[in-house]
Amino acid sequence: MTPAVLILLAVTLMVVHRTDAVPVEKLRVMMADAAAPVMAAISQPFETLADSFSGIKTMRQLKAENIRLKAENERLQQWYDAALKYQAQNKSLQDLLNLKADPALSFVTTRVVSDPGGSFVKSVLLPVGSGDNVAKGNAVMSGRGLIGRVTEVGNRSSRVLLITDLNSRIPVIVQNTRTHAILAGKNTDTLRLERLPIDSSLTVGQRIVTSGDGGQLPPDIPIGTITEVGPGGIIVQPLADMNALTYVQVINALMDRALVTGEITPEAPQKHIKR
Amino acid sequence: MTFKADEGWEEPILTMLWRWAVTVFVVAILIALSAFPFHIGDFGEIRPSFMIMAVYYWAVMCPPMLSPLAAFLSGAAFDLLTGLPFGLNAMTLVAVQWTTRAQRKFLLGQPFLVMWVGLGLVSVGAELLQWGAVSLFNWAVMPLESNLMSALLTTAIFPLAVLPLSIFNKPLADRNSPL
Repeated sequence: MTPAVLILLAVTLMVVHRTDAVPVEKLRVMMADAAAPVMAAISQPFETLADSFSGIKTMRQLKAENIRLKAENERLQQWYDAALKYQAQNKSLQDLLNLKADPALSFVTTRVVSDPGGSFVKSVLLPVGSGDNVAKGNAVMSGRGLIGRVTEVGNRSSRVLLITDLNSRIPVIVQNTRTHAILAGKNTDTLRLERLPIDSSLTVGQRIVTSGDGGQLPPDIPIGTITEVGPGGIIVQPLADMNALTYVQVINALMDRALVTGEITPEAPQKHIKR
Repeated sequence: MTFKADEGWEEPILTMLWRWAVTVFVVAILIALSAFPFHIGDFGEIRPSFMIMAVYYWAVMCPPMLSPLAAFLSGAAFDLLTGLPFGLNAMTLVAVQWTTRAQRKFLLGQPFLVMWVGLGLVSVGAELLQWGAVSLFNWAVMPLESNLMSALLTTAIFPLAVLPLSIFNKPLADRNSPL
């Protein structure tokens, strides 16, 4: 086949993908199922190597880091004490109101085995699939906040569309005012807040969390903080470092809805770590 | 027993099978290298394109190593693995190979510096082509800065990639290619 024919074929494939993504998704799932376990196995030595390089620090850097960590530890200890106090207060108020609490979420912890894909698409591949109870629509978190949701699931792999992708739309609320909005990705490191009520007043520093609207994502998962309010729109900085995702948690909210309706036997929150 | 390719060169069947095996092996490594989450310092989404380096290098130094169809399939596999629009890298790699092979006779007689500059121009062109295609695909103007930075990074590390790439084409280099 000549290069001109191949280029024409590639353009045709892109047009087909644009008009009907389902066949391409099936191909991607097959490819990911085949590649994810291999990539997970061979990415381990690379990760160890990268860890070793980043672990090399001078005494001066270590001293500075030690001082910073000690100060942070003291600050966090104060927050921990406050959290315990509020937890006890919260429980007693819930008992007083006879409130039915949200069920505990089950999750799978796993390693990211592919790069976020440059500036054209923001997605990552995980070596967990339907065999690990991962389902389409599940929320995915790093240690600091929401990073995306599962869009394709195979037997042994799943693809996560990151919140920074151009096609990502997440229903959110501003944590302290409970203002509803949509958080949109724009293929850069930051996000844009859209569909806000006309009378909403926002300020820099406010936290954005999931609203739980639509039932796909659990409510109150932290996502980011507002960093800019101006004519250019309301810009949100994600809490998670989207360019350095290593380990993530897939939150199985769909399974928990079944648990609430009594379709499966309630039991302790499931924690499953897959390396 | 010999194999006669569309392009006009002939080779023993065993040599052809060996070449295909080596090509598949090297391309699989390059795709894995391009898709791995390396987390290199503060580079973020700026990543070198190992596939463009290989396609360019082999189009000049050893065209039988990667046919246009092999470049197309490699690009398609990379698109499926990374979640990019299906056909984007297939189109880009074939375009890179086509353009480079058209300049092969000129590039072969030049010092390495000229070949290096050529790679720079080709990788910037490839990034612009991808940017245009993805902007049309999404019907939105995509950010371009990090892709141009990626093209610069691809160019910067090309001399380091030449040595490992040349190892694979040495056994084929002695053969007189009519291309």
